[in-house]
Amino acid sequence: MKNSWLIAKRELKERLSNSAFLWMLFIGPIISLFLIYLLFKAGDEGKSTLRILIVDPVNLMDTKIIAQEGKTIDYYFTDKYIEVEEFRDGNKYQEFDALMEVNEKILMNKKAFVFYRENPSPDLKMQLKFQLERRVEEVMIEQFTRLSVDEFRQIKQPLNVDFRNVYDPKNEASDMEGWVGFVFGAIIVLFVLLFGMTILRSTTREKSNRIVEVLLASVKPSQLMLGKITGIGIAAFIQIIGWIILISLGLFVFRQTIFPDLFDLSNWEGIQVTSDVQQQIIDSTPVGRYNQFIELIYERINFGYMLLFFALLFVLAYFFYGAFFSAIGATAGTENDGQQFLFPILFILGFSLYAGYYAIILPDSTFTQWMQFIPFTSPVVVMVKIAQGYPIGTFYFAIISIFILVVSTYLFLAIAGRLYKNGILHFGHQLRLKNIISWLKKS
Amino acid sequence: MLTVNEITKSYNRKFALDSVSLQINKGEIYGLLGPNGAGKTTLIRIINQIIQQDKGTIRFDGKLMVEEHLRHIGYLPEERGLYKTMRVLDQLIFLAQIRGLNKTEAQRNALFWLEKFQIQDWSNKRIEELSKGMAQKIQFIASVLHEPDMLILDEPLSGFDPVNIELILNELKTFKEQGKTIVLSTHNMRSVEEICDRVALIHASKKVAEDTVWNLREAQKQGEFIIRFKGNMISFANALWTDFELFDKKEIGESRFETIVKMRRGNKIDDLLKALMGNVEIEAVEERFPSMQEVFIELTKEKEVVDEK
Repeated sequence: MKNSWLIAKRELKERLSNSAFLWMLFIGPIISLFLIYLLFKAGDEGKSTLRILIVDPVNLMDTKIIAQEGKTIDYYFTDKYIEVEEFRDGNKYQEFDALMEVNEKILMNKKAFVFYRENPSPDLKMQLKFQLERRVEEVMIEQFTRLSVDEFRQIKQPLNVDFRNVYDPKNEASDMEGWVGFVFGAIIVLFVLLFGMTILRSTTREKSNRIVEVLLASVKPSQLMLGKITGIGIAAFIQIIGWIILISLGLFVFRQTIFPDLFDLSNWEGIQVTSDVQQQIIDSTPVGRYNQFIELIYERINFGYMLLFFALLFVLAYFFYGAFFSAIGATAGTENDGQQFLFPILFILGFSLYAGYYAIILPDSTFTQWMQFIPFTSPVVVMVKIAQGYPIGTFYFAIISIFILVVSTYLFLAIAGRLYKNGILHFGHQLRLKNIISWLKKS
Repeated sequence: MLTVNEITKSYNRKFALDSVSLQINKGEIYGLLGPNGAGKTTLIRIINQIIQQDKGTIRFDGKLMVEEHLRHIGYLPEERGLYKTMRVLDQLIFLAQIRGLNKTEAQRNALFWLEKFQIQDWSNKRIEELSKGMAQKIQFIASVLHEPDMLILDEPLSGFDPVNIELILNELKTFKEQGKTIVLSTHNMRSVEEICDRVALIHASKKVAEDTVWNLREAQKQGEFIIRFKGNMISFANALWTDFELFDKKEIGESRFETIVKMRRGNKIDDLLKALMGNVEIEAVEERFPSMQEVFIELTKEKEVVDEK
């Protein structure tokens, strides 16, 4: 065991001193943060402030609409009827970003048109809709009821019909969470592939430069294999931790600067709302009307819980697949040999991503149920299912999946150890399936 | 020190070693000779527990060999290898550590050997920056760094220039003086004659001979004598007549010759001297023993003849 640890330390030191490792440590999170930024921006694109000209020939609004200090929408009123073309081309209207038509019909058909020059962000659209709706509501209360505005709002309750899965009555699962699980699973696959290839290259290089014979005079083949997988695995884990820290820091900076939380009261400029009203806004806002990615990342994902399972599944998946890469490296005749045996592993890793995708689309299908137990696909599928949330009373599925993965990893390490032992001292041959079979049979 | 008993190993139903037994005594330099593919490297790997024998046992200091004994063995394989991107000192420390030394001891010993070979300036160089000969030296140091009781060196002199061959041979002699045991597999027969106490010859997976260097040479002698004389070559040849065979001749000066004469019909050196006296002036007489090179060729040839029969 001591020798395995020495081998692992050497591998780790080599990886950490490799400039490619350091580049990847910083470039990976930067690319990830850039993609997240694009994703956030995609849901929050458009102008951040608006100047709106409200055409109100009948003076329905009484030139009033909620507007306060620090507002992001400025309203201007006119009682003159303006054609859209005139607004679009007229010099005196160029200072306005949008034209909104309001007339008495709005009280009946609840419909208003906003003609914009540049599509406003969903956030601004939502604010505009909310502010107009409240003003129209005030007008309606005044015209059709004898209630005060506050009284009306107390009795006004929208009727929501909420469709929910019988296995998920709290509606904790959703596609969006599933996708977060999928991203975690994809990171596992990505790192297994990248560092699995490192195991393969390191093993074949030790064979080709013959140091393996010096090592084997002091270390058992299984110790050498385990040390190598462990050392490279620790490097992979450090890389992942680095990514997590840097991405978390980036998300924190995003939240503090570029993408402040939409549901933070301080960001609701121009609107004085109570928490009840705030909740009403959230409840009544259809999907897609606010930046759901921001909400998903900052509000809905339990990262502590996810990271715990991610770490566990990553370690198991890495050792499970690492055993394959190691065995291929040990049995290959030359550094370039063994490529044809990589293809099945790449195919299986690709298939595991497909299984994860399938679990998002059809989480309760029989295929997904099976894939969560098969060790080749379980790291991604279980990650997706954990993100979606296991229905009450079925969490033991995750435990069973992890148990199967542990046992399979142990078995595959034993098989790979045998191949490693019998193949590591064979040089220069062309690796064939019959070699692998005969080395598997040998004790 | 090391007893190899009836070791058999086969690959794909073909013998790599066939019931090979050796007895290597403490403090001796033991030569393991044999043509390429004879099974020497397989035997060395089995001793080092890199591969397992099919049959037979190996005892180290009288006890069945186990992993723990490997710490007392220094091994330099024929196929040399080092981590190319690793620095010399780090590499030596790492290799000493996997042989059981702690980091402090490993560093101390590594620096000692680098200084001894006057290559301390290389300690921070990467292996890929060194020449082949330099890397060979580092590999030699790596095999002795953990102060083993026994050294197993597979072709330790290959790749070295004559100066460094001398350096390594002197180190091996020093190890012997310190009571260490050395197993030397080499094709360099001059070094075998120079430093080996005993040798074993392995050929076609079998041990065909095992003895002291002197005894093996003696066993292969052909009754040949080197005669140096002053006089006439025709008189010399006539004196030999049919009782002796003139095997080789070389003029070494004016009317001075060195010849090799082979005995016939049971004649001895006294008979030869009697026949020559009065015909030429004899300056020196010496029995000619075959070199280890000749012994090697002769024994492997004999085995091939036996196999053909």
